[in-house]
Amino acid sequence: MLDRGDLDKLVRALAETRESEIGCDECFEKMDRFAEIEFSGSDAATAMPLVQDHLRKCEDCHEKYEALLMAVGAG
Amino acid sequence: MQARTNEQWLAELRGPNPNEALSDLYDLLVRGLRAALGGPAGAANADIEDFVQEALLKITNNLDSFRGESRFTTWAKKIAMNVALTELKRRRWSDVSLQDLLARRTAAGRGLADPQSTPEQVAFQNMVLAELRGIIDKYLTDRQREAVVAVILEGMPIAEVARRMGTNQNALYKLLHDARKKLKLRMEAVGLSPHEMLAAFDAG
Repeated sequence: MLDRGDLDKLVRALAETRESEIGCDECFEKMDRFAEIEFSGSDAATAMPLVQDHLRKCEDCHEKYEALLMAVGAG
Repeated sequence: MQARTNEQWLAELRGPNPNEALSDLYDLLVRGLRAALGGPAGAANADIEDFVQEALLKITNNLDSFRGESRFTTWAKKIAMNVALTELKRRRWSDVSLQDLLARRTAAGRGLADPQSTPEQVAFQNMVLAELRGIIDKYLTDRQREAVVAVILEGMPIAEVARRMGTNQNALYKLLHDARKKLKLRMEAVGLSPHEMLAAFDAG
């Protein structure tokens, strides 16, 4: 199931793996607060590091977050 | 549209005459979704209006779950975005079966060595590959293997893989997290830390 083309993706995923990570539900619950912190120009990643970590790893949640930022920007 | 505090939004939407607040919220969400999903390749107006209608139902049925940690309108936009993107993704991936994806991969045998790699790098990559294959076969469950392939290697959306595996996005993320932790631990146990492996791949 694994070939050379997969190595980089899988090893990168392992390198970013932490013992403790939040799931998609918790990320979604906190995403609105995270977006407002970032939108205000403050450092959301420092304020909510576990949300930042999840957004880096989960493409689905990251996509929703980017869309939310655009919607917030629309007023 | 009149400006409202969070408390005013909640009071009006829960009150006997919610129509004006609902109408303002509808306009706000349509504008937000257009900004996020519009454009030539984006969602159609009719779709956006459907998504907002569905989101309004979810919002008004779940007002008690708003905890006041953001502006009410940001919370509402988050729910609308979730409705819209979940549906758009479901449509985009509707023709892809997990079984076909996994079967195609078994048959394919892709991925030649990077011609830029030195013989030492190729040998190291082959050794890592053999270790990873062995660990995946021995320590991951069938469901973990399927999820690793579909999400991490094939880039299929986690919500879509979850739907096909009869679970939900949150549970599948946790299953994948457990799989990644197990693989990392077992690789480290044979002296291969992910960071060192990456450094070796990138060197040269």
